[in-house]
Amino acid sequence: MIWQNSEQIRHTLETTFNEILDKRMRELPVVNFALSVQAVGFSRFGEDWLGVLITPWFMNLMLLPGADSTWREQQPGIKIDKHFPYGAFEFTLGREAQIGIYALCSLFSPMFQFENQAAALAAAESALQGLLAETAPRAVSRRDLLRGAIGKGNR
Amino acid sequence: MNETFYDVMRRQGITRRSFLKFCSLTAASLGLSPAFAPKIAHAMETKPRIPVLWLHGLECTCCSESFIRSGHPLAKDVILSMLSLDYDDTIMAAAGHNAEAIVDEIVEKYKGNYILAVEGNAPLGEDGMYCIIGGKPFVEQLKYAAESCKAIISWGSCASWGCVQAAKPNPTRATPTHKIPGLADKPIIKVPGCPPIAEVMTAVVAYLLTFEKLPTLDRQGRPQMFYSQRIHDKCYRRPHFDAGQFVEHWDDEAARQGHCLYKMGCKGPTTYNACSTMRWNEGVSFPIQSGHGCIGCSEDGFWDKGGFYQRLTDINDFGIEANADTVGGTAATVVGVGIAAHAGLTALNRSKKSGDKQTGAEQQ
Repeated sequence: MIWQNSEQIRHTLETTFNEILDKRMRELPVVNFALSVQAVGFSRFGEDWLGVLITPWFMNLMLLPGADSTWREQQPGIKIDKHFPYGAFEFTLGREAQIGIYALCSLFSPMFQFENQAAALAAAESALQGLLAETAPRAVSRRDLLRGAIGKGNR
Repeated sequence: MNETFYDVMRRQGITRRSFLKFCSLTAASLGLSPAFAPKIAHAMETKPRIPVLWLHGLECTCCSESFIRSGHPLAKDVILSMLSLDYDDTIMAAAGHNAEAIVDEIVEKYKGNYILAVEGNAPLGEDGMYCIIGGKPFVEQLKYAAESCKAIISWGSCASWGCVQAAKPNPTRATPTHKIPGLADKPIIKVPGCPPIAEVMTAVVAYLLTFEKLPTLDRQGRPQMFYSQRIHDKCYRRPHFDAGQFVEHWDDEAARQGHCLYKMGCKGPTTYNACSTMRWNEGVSFPIQSGHGCIGCSEDGFWDKGGFYQRLTDINDFGIEANADTVGGTAATVVGVGIAAHAGLTALNRSKKSGDKQTGAEQQ
């Protein structure tokens, strides 16, 4: 699969994983029905496309290969290391008929701690921003968190 | 008596080249950058070796078996001499009164400065008579040795949680180390697993000995560098879980294709351990790779959590609260968008490669 733009990627991922949800996952107790499939980001990062995929049963960092990605010919199940401004992450390769080869790094699974899609989306966006931020995100103390001293802009 | 680790290793015929190789392997298994290898080497060359008392309560010796088969090429030579296992009733040469005298000697000679490693646990029922060492209940030996030690390592699920001998109805009242009434208040490192991974065991000890402090522990007392992620997070079959491809019956087509074992009762989604990253037998394989689900052997009370082939079915099974870093303490449900953003960053840090984490072993 040759990926052209973010729009195409998000559409393909959402279509594919909605089908997986309907056909293979729906009856399983790992599904949080308050959530839906949503692809977040998927702009270029080096040779690859980087984004976060939210589904009712997992949230992963996800890479899709560009034409020059060295790992596009690798086998599913293989692990690769990727470096980001935030640090090094290990990705596992997978393959799906409509998507081809992709790389994932788990953030959450299952997804029961998210009450709704807005919360899942906020977590996905903050993870994606954190990953690409030049300086590592500030550690938030529990005291600050409870006093509401962080995230003033998005309360 | 004031020998360093390095002296001991040289005396055992280990070359300097092998010694340095061991140091870099140890740094790697601790998730430290290669820059730490010289630091470990320096510590081993200059610090006097610290004695380790290794006590055995109710156990099956699988922790010892795992430990002495550590995957480092040098482990069989190095580890045992390096750790200075002055007392380990399974592998020491002394027996009978001579052996028990070693415990007294270490307690006296190295007061406050030895590591107490505990394999297995103490049964408290019938005044401890279900486990007798040298004519006395094991719990007495344990308390005596704990009184003067520097820190305690609870090896394996027995010492950490209780394991099979503490499974319901626990007829002998087998009790994990940290729950022994009247035990001296010493730092306890839990290294659960049945057995724990050999490299994890050697790395934990090497860390204690070289840095002379405890590795960062999670809320349950486990070293964060090895127990911060679940088998499920780093499983090589994870793409099949995500794609809804599951083994339905043993030896069906999906099993042959190596699909996800969740429906066959795999406990990977609820088990914190390093099996899917470090693997076993020198990194050769781990249960899921050989076609069987994870049985969750490093989790508290794993014998009482239903059958090994029973599927995880409800939210409680998944123990959302299980991660030590989860926002707001136990059973947190993410309610607000602000907190969700924090959870995203926490997950990001957790998913990072261990040598790269913000709070962890590398902060020296």
